[in-house]
Amino acid sequence: MNNALAIASIVVKELYRRKDFYVLFVLTAVITLLMGSLNFFNDDKIVRYLKEICLLLIWISALAIAVGTSARQIPSERENRTIFPLLAKPVTRGQMIAGKFLGCWLACGVALIVFYLFFGVVAASREHQWPLASYFQALWLHWWMLAVVIAVTLLGSLVFAAPSSNATICLLVIVGILLLGRHLNKIAIQMADPMSAVVYGVYFVIPHLELFDVRDLIVHNWEPINWLVFAGATLYAAAYTAVFLFAAWLVFRRQPLA
Amino acid sequence: MKSILKIQDLVVEFRTREIGQKIKVAVNHLSLEVFPGEVFGFLGPNGAGKTTTMNVLLGFVPATHGSAYIFDVNVREPIARQRIGYLPELTYYYKFLTAEELLRFYARVFRIPRAEAGPRIDEVLKLVELNAARARPIKTYSKGMQQRVGLAQALINDPDLLILDEPTSGLDPIGRMKVREIIQRLKAKGKTVFFSSHELGEVETVCDRVAILHNGELKAAGRVTDLEEKYKCNLEQAFLKVIGYQPGL
Amino acid sequence: MPASSLTFAFLLTVCFTLATWLQPWHQSWAGGRSQSGSLLDVVVGDSRKLFANHFFVRADVYFHSGYYPSIFDQAIGGAPHMTAVQNAAAGSEAARESEPAEGTGFLGPPRDWIDKFGRNFYPSHHSHLDKPGEAREILPWLRIAADLDPHKVETYTVAAYWLRQHLNKVDDAEQFLREGWRANPDSYEILFELGRVFDENRHDVQRARNVFELALRKWQERAARDGKQNEFLLEQILAHLAEIESREGHYEKALSYLGRVKEISPRPDAIQRQIDELKKKLAGATSNNNSEPPQGGKN
Repeated sequence: MNNALAIASIVVKELYRRKDFYVLFVLTAVITLLMGSLNFFNDDKIVRYLKEICLLLIWISALAIAVGTSARQIPSERENRTIFPLLAKPVTRGQMIAGKFLGCWLACGVALIVFYLFFGVVAASREHQWPLASYFQALWLHWWMLAVVIAVTLLGSLVFAAPSSNATICLLVIVGILLLGRHLNKIAIQMADPMSAVVYGVYFVIPHLELFDVRDLIVHNWEPINWLVFAGATLYAAAYTAVFLFAAWLVFRRQPLA
Repeated sequence: MKSILKIQDLVVEFRTREIGQKIKVAVNHLSLEVFPGEVFGFLGPNGAGKTTTMNVLLGFVPATHGSAYIFDVNVREPIARQRIGYLPELTYYYKFLTAEELLRFYARVFRIPRAEAGPRIDEVLKLVELNAARARPIKTYSKGMQQRVGLAQALINDPDLLILDEPTSGLDPIGRMKVREIIQRLKAKGKTVFFSSHELGEVETVCDRVAILHNGELKAAGRVTDLEEKYKCNLEQAFLKVIGYQPGL
Repeated sequence: MPASSLTFAFLLTVCFTLATWLQPWHQSWAGGRSQSGSLLDVVVGDSRKLFANHFFVRADVYFHSGYYPSIFDQAIGGAPHMTAVQNAAAGSEAARESEPAEGTGFLGPPRDWIDKFGRNFYPSHHSHLDKPGEAREILPWLRIAADLDPHKVETYTVAAYWLRQHLNKVDDAEQFLREGWRANPDSYEILFELGRVFDENRHDVQRARNVFELALRKWQERAARDGKQNEFLLEQILAHLAEIESREGHYEKALSYLGRVKEISPRPDAIQRQIDELKKKLAGATSNNNSEPPQGGKN
């Protein structure tokens, strides 16, 4: 664990010394504030559209940070040859995978806290309320979704040749799941066999990342999710994350470095 | 005397990317031992298999056949690397870190307590003469400075065995002299140094024993003086004879 | 002559021939988009109508607090979802008929455990923005829809309904309708809604009458020009005119309007009852006039 945390600390340092996060945050803030300055029928209490736009930007930024950061971790270690002095130390490849994952995930967590704080301030400026339980649930679920995304991307970085192709493929898959994951069973119903069985199979196998997208609940001020269900979702994400990280370790442990 | 590094009948094969997937034998039944306190030179022309052998010792590449042990621990075990320091031929480190941050990271990996890590980092940075630049990001360093950072990180855990891959590569004469001094200082402390080099003049100066590799096979091994006596010439000419080089062909 | 020069000359000839062929084709293809003065028109083209429609539906999504069928739900469910926000503006009866009853919904029973579990993470119960002032949340999408497609008439009428009826923003409603009327001068739908503003909110009977009559004329003109029009809206226009005339005591005019309503109404009996009542009033009014002594009689 010590080695994994040490490697994680390096990843976090790298993230906050790069410009990506700051650029995305400023972009999110500027667009949100711009949209907030619009006048719709002289009503300054309209807030839901602003919450939706802000949350959409947060989701896009978080995905960009998560996929972009994790896609380049191991390939850049190889390309820059920093992997050799690292693995020449008493560090296992599993610890390296764990460390890279933890670093990306913690860095995304910090980024999410900043984004959601901004969101909370923007929403409260019009709604004059802070549904803390709902916001906490949204942040937590979003963070765990990113855990799955990071694990998938790390696995992809060991399978695909270039970070750019890995990032593109992972983003396509992730966005596809977010948009269509919930509806695959409905699509399957309308298909004939054997395609129906294939689609249903995909439906049950894929990690349902859309479960963690609770933006509609936040935007429209629904009640917080039942805490047992919330815990179940966390376990669901943890399970998929573990599976993908394990797969990454299986691939990495036999790969020659040189 | 028990060896500190032991390679037994090591074979390393790679599949080439050609059609039909030919197999290239990088290391062919290599066996050698390195004993505590000695400076061991690992010589050979380019493509002889020196770096591949080192990669096996460091766990970067799995052996096809045979085995290797460091401090009686199979090199496949990460714990085998607890007491070694490694300087790669091409020194690249996290450019966004400072030298101090890099050493602190590696100290943490070696589980050096914080209280000890601070003085150790100071000592090592002073040894490689990077104290003045310790707070600057590594991306601002010259090649020589990066090489010295490499040496610093190889020494951070006060290793009993140092594995150096072409330690003077790319250095100016002053840099090479400093590296030689460090190697001799380590030897005086009773440390073991295993390094590969093309600079036969340096090898002659610092090494106790050498091994000469060619086409993955061990061609000769022994004390420098013994080899010179056997081939009735200096080390460079002995090297050329051993690898079968004939001038004019 | 060297081969490279011949090749170059050949390619030049091919390019020139292609250009003479493509140029007139391109001009006819580019059409209004390239001549448009609007940057949005040039950049987005006809897809702005698609976006406008999307944002109009978005307003309905907001009205339902996110509880809304996707295209996949609609594909299974069969009929497309009628926009509740639009139906509420059209009239309460239509809204009641088209909205699903409480407790059921487009989702139906869960198909599998993932579906069941997933319903905790998105709006899965029917809901409306019923609380006072909540309807304001649909306004941005209607505004954007109108900006993208100024010729989508229902955007103006729906927005105006919610502005005047639920948000007490009569001035904004009128201004928005006028904006829509400028973009759609032949729209009886917008005129009707404008008439309602004058009648129900401003209580300006004369202006309301004028606008309703204009709406009626526009309806008739468009029916004559384009064929079948929205008969439900014609019924509404005539009914409002009848009501205004009835309130003003112009019973005969009111009766003539109601007569026309009865011809197209799906509930002629109810209209007939209104006609009968009005006739009673007319009879009552006439007898009152007859029983009054003449002004300035003989001594």
